[in-house]
Amino acid sequence: MNLRQGLAAAASGVLLLLLLWGDDPKELARRARTLAGSVGSELAVRRLHGSGTAQDRRFFAFLESARRRLPAGTVGVAITGLPPSDAALYIAAYQFAPTPVLLDPQSVPPGWLLAVYGTARPAGWKVVAPVWGGALMAPT
Amino acid sequence: MEGLWRPLAEVAVILLAGAAIGCGLAGAFLTAAAGRTERAAWGFAIGLALLAASAPLAFAARRPPREMALLLGALAVGGAFLLRHRRGKDAAQGRRRGGVRALLTRPGILLLPLVAFGAAVFALRALTEPMWSNDYIAIWGFKGKTIFGAGGVPRRLFADPALGFSHPEYPLGLPFLYASLSFLLGRWDDHAMALLFPFLQAATLLALFGWLRRRGVTPTIALFAAALLANFGPLYSALHTGMGDIPFAFVSLLFGTALVDALDQIDPMAVRRLALATVLAVSTKNEGTLLAAAGAFLCLASRGWARRASRGAAAAIVAPAVSLLLAGRLWKGALPLRDFDLALLGPTLILELLPRVAEAIHTAFREVILPSWPGLLCIAVLIAAGRSAPAGNRLLALAILCCLAYLLAPSLAALGPDWLIRTSFARTVCALAPLAAAAIASRLKIEG
Repeated sequence: MNLRQGLAAAASGVLLLLLLWGDDPKELARRARTLAGSVGSELAVRRLHGSGTAQDRRFFAFLESARRRLPAGTVGVAITGLPPSDAALYIAAYQFAPTPVLLDPQSVPPGWLLAVYGTARPAGWKVVAPVWGGALMAPT
Repeated sequence: MEGLWRPLAEVAVILLAGAAIGCGLAGAFLTAAAGRTERAAWGFAIGLALLAASAPLAFAARRPPREMALLLGALAVGGAFLLRHRRGKDAAQGRRRGGVRALLTRPGILLLPLVAFGAAVFALRALTEPMWSNDYIAIWGFKGKTIFGAGGVPRRLFADPALGFSHPEYPLGLPFLYASLSFLLGRWDDHAMALLFPFLQAATLLALFGWLRRRGVTPTIALFAAALLANFGPLYSALHTGMGDIPFAFVSLLFGTALVDALDQIDPMAVRRLALATVLAVSTKNEGTLLAAAGAFLCLASRGWARRASRGAAAAIVAPAVSLLLAGRLWKGALPLRDFDLALLGPTLILELLPRVAEAIHTAFREVILPSWPGLLCIAVLIAAGRSAPAGNRLLALAILCCLAYLLAPSLAALGPDWLIRTSFARTVCALAPLAAAAIASRLKIEG
């Protein structure tokens, strides 16, 4: 083995060790436990307990509940009742896709439903379906 | 209530069937000199390309997407049989490198478990929970789910200002792949579909090992490169599962290896591979256009540009890239790059640009390069310890050109260079790891 080969072997070995050092056994064990514990659960429950909803799991439960109660042919859903944030908009748009979603709009487009997160019930709207953590509403 | 195992098995069957069909067609892109590993990798790429193409073809032909996927699969199987019949006699000849026999040596037996360990760790990370990263939810998954749910591509994906967060200007290759998989599955399952990513990692490792062996790199070095790449956590992470970076890492390796094969005139099919890899790269991420531009630049810069090989390679890159970009422009309309302010390139604002370049470089050093100096030092030593080899040098040049573009492009960021470097530089550079691994390994040792 010449100097070049020795250097290459040493650098490769150190690089491999550095990469392996990045694997935290506790993290891997936790992942294995999470996977084993959730593998039989429904997809929405797995997402509810996952990282994507960690910011606000209650809001995700509301979204999933509203999605399930959404009448067929709904043109769009305007969501009110929480401070607008990028994370809330992304998860709401994803959860309701392909149905368009607006978060806390100035006005609700004609034909759209209102998904109210929380206990407020705006005037001029009637509840079409109670959902977990809120209600789905349509114009009266 | 349905758990994970059944949909996971269904996704696995679809991906394996796609790979098997693709392998049958790989003969149109690889000569008999290619080993099984490289053939499997290209086969997987072809299978995924067919699967992803089935959705837009179905929409255009107004046929059910599932029916179109099955039809394309049947046509591909027919094509594979014809190809096999035509090339039957010479198919078994010339296969000497890249096969699995090379793994059954002492170093192979020591290194294979390391590759398997890296693959198992990534599979665990990818499959722990439904795909969740911000960019998956807001961009890739959102578009895929919208296309699947709408049974088409709603115009609002490009035209609705409220959907600007989903980056309408990004290519739709990955969303089409998600939608096509879901059409075959019959439902949207964003946990089972995560299996695509360990498959992509495996295909990348096969492509790396197979190409290195075909180009005369010893089995030990080829396998060590695969072991390092398999354990490269910054790319193969839970965060990147669902995003475009892991697919792009795969296709950029296919592009780079096809490019150097075409320039070195290794085999007559290299130009076809290069054209296919260009289509895949440009359809996967906007960085694919940069990669294609860098590849075309290398063709121009290569000694003897007048040589037919350089011109052929440049044409194989430019023709599909320009066609795809024009088709996208006609279909989607003019969509600005949301993260960038190209007015900074204008004459009045050029003075603002230089401080921004300095800020981008400073942030990259502070946030990415300095914290990872031990690993980068090892890579620098590996590059220095290598010997000049045309293929390795070109791959290295391709990776360095892309790195420089990723470093300097944030100077034009609308929200400032600091922001874009922090959010994307490490991620995009990590996707060049397979390309860099191929470059470094091919410069280290070549069999006599």
